[in-house]
Amino acid sequence: MKTINNIIELVGWEAIKLLIGLIGVLVVVVVNALVLTWAERKVSGHMQRRIGPKEVGPCGMLQPIADTIKLIAKELLTPQNVERPLYFLAPVIVFIPVMVSFVVIPFDAYLQVKDINVGILVILAFSSLSVLSILLAGWGSNNKYSLIGSVRSVAQNIAYEIPLLLALLAVVLMTNSLSLRDIVESQKGLWYIVSQPIAFLVFFIAGVAETNRTPFDLPEAESELVAGFHTEYSGMRFALFFLAEYTNIFIICAITTTFFLGGYHGPILPGFVWFFGKTYLLVFVILWFRWTFPRVRFDQLLNFSWKLLIPVSLLNLIVTGGILKL
Amino acid sequence: MINLGEPIFILIVIMTVAGALTTVLSGSVIYALIGLVATMFGIAGLYVYLNAPFLAMMQILVYVGAITILIAFAIMLAGPFYKRPKEWTGIGKFSAALVVSVISFLTFFTIIMKVSWTEGKGAFNLLTKDIGRALFDRYAFPFELISLVIVVSIIGAIMLAMFSRGKND
Repeated sequence: MKTINNIIELVGWEAIKLLIGLIGVLVVVVVNALVLTWAERKVSGHMQRRIGPKEVGPCGMLQPIADTIKLIAKELLTPQNVERPLYFLAPVIVFIPVMVSFVVIPFDAYLQVKDINVGILVILAFSSLSVLSILLAGWGSNNKYSLIGSVRSVAQNIAYEIPLLLALLAVVLMTNSLSLRDIVESQKGLWYIVSQPIAFLVFFIAGVAETNRTPFDLPEAESELVAGFHTEYSGMRFALFFLAEYTNIFIICAITTTFFLGGYHGPILPGFVWFFGKTYLLVFVILWFRWTFPRVRFDQLLNFSWKLLIPVSLLNLIVTGGILKL
Repeated sequence: MINLGEPIFILIVIMTVAGALTTVLSGSVIYALIGLVATMFGIAGLYVYLNAPFLAMMQILVYVGAITILIAFAIMLAGPFYKRPKEWTGIGKFSAALVVSVISFLTFFTIIMKVSWTEGKGAFNLLTKDIGRALFDRYAFPFELISLVIVVSIIGAIMLAMFSRGKND
């Protein structure tokens, strides 16, 4: 006990809190990815009238753990002609935005690593790093499919980041704050999905596009690009991209919950149950999208953002500002 | 209690300078770009130390999120010409670069020495609201002028692109 007190005195309580928070974040990231890989296969299975994984554990629930062991045990292949530093750097960078985003998300009234007064900006600013990582992966792989995949991904991300920001801005206008906690607290009475339905729709569509999920999964369109930007990756490096993708899905759904579905507010049950319940409901919707909508063509994808989503979200912003001023 | 602030500050400074050196000295465009990203992050870190988190996030959002990604996009569209030999050119280019850098250094130096900086330890507490007020109230005219310049350059870029596209067809 004495040594613990000494350590706390040495580095300060704040640093210890941050460390505990980061460990907690890592646990959430890994568990979320395990649950989502299982859920994805199970949901896909049932939607196609199959059963999905069922051999390992009850209802196949231990399947993701078996997969993880397989991925860890795999040999790390490094193709001969890759640009080595970039090839190794990309799967590492993909994780920075993911970790940073978790720091500011309020899971419950007191379950948040740190409330920063520019919280939402932190998430949005660091999310651009995942684009950079995809770019580096595609470029460093020295493979034409990877390169095409990453170029597509960047074009898509640039196009959909604008409606995403504009939709969130409408909510920020209503709360007068960039802190995620304040935004959740202001939804105690009325959720923003009721007062900002257009912003919610625009944000969710743009969010699905940002995570490169179907119907916007052109960067990894397997029928034409093998696997897109991560074609040349295997073993744990591939697993890192996978982990980041599933965590990104979770983050987009968590931000949607925070901004439009009242975050941790809800009757009877404790806050974090509501938070995770709402978030995983949205995750289910995204998994559902995959077996409902066919992949869009690239020109359709860009036209949809530039000609529909951006004007609509701009109009929504103007109307919101006007009403608030009245 | 150990002061964690100082070592982190030194790390940030090293990252900024190393990134800048990579950007300037690297023979490959894509490595230069990564150096630029590192520098931008370093500058954002310095903003955090100046107690301006909003500016820091804007720095990352605009410079890392938009500008470097666009540069990367342009590099990729231009074709994979990495592994190109380094170009250490002759005395002409070197002296030109020297003149330009000396002039820009002197300009910045005189400006920095002339401006009277607000001093203060922790008293310098800028709110996001104040930045918004300054932009749309006191400096509204220059702000709008900048957007006009950007609109002109966008229209110019579109005109150039359309013109050259028509030629190729």
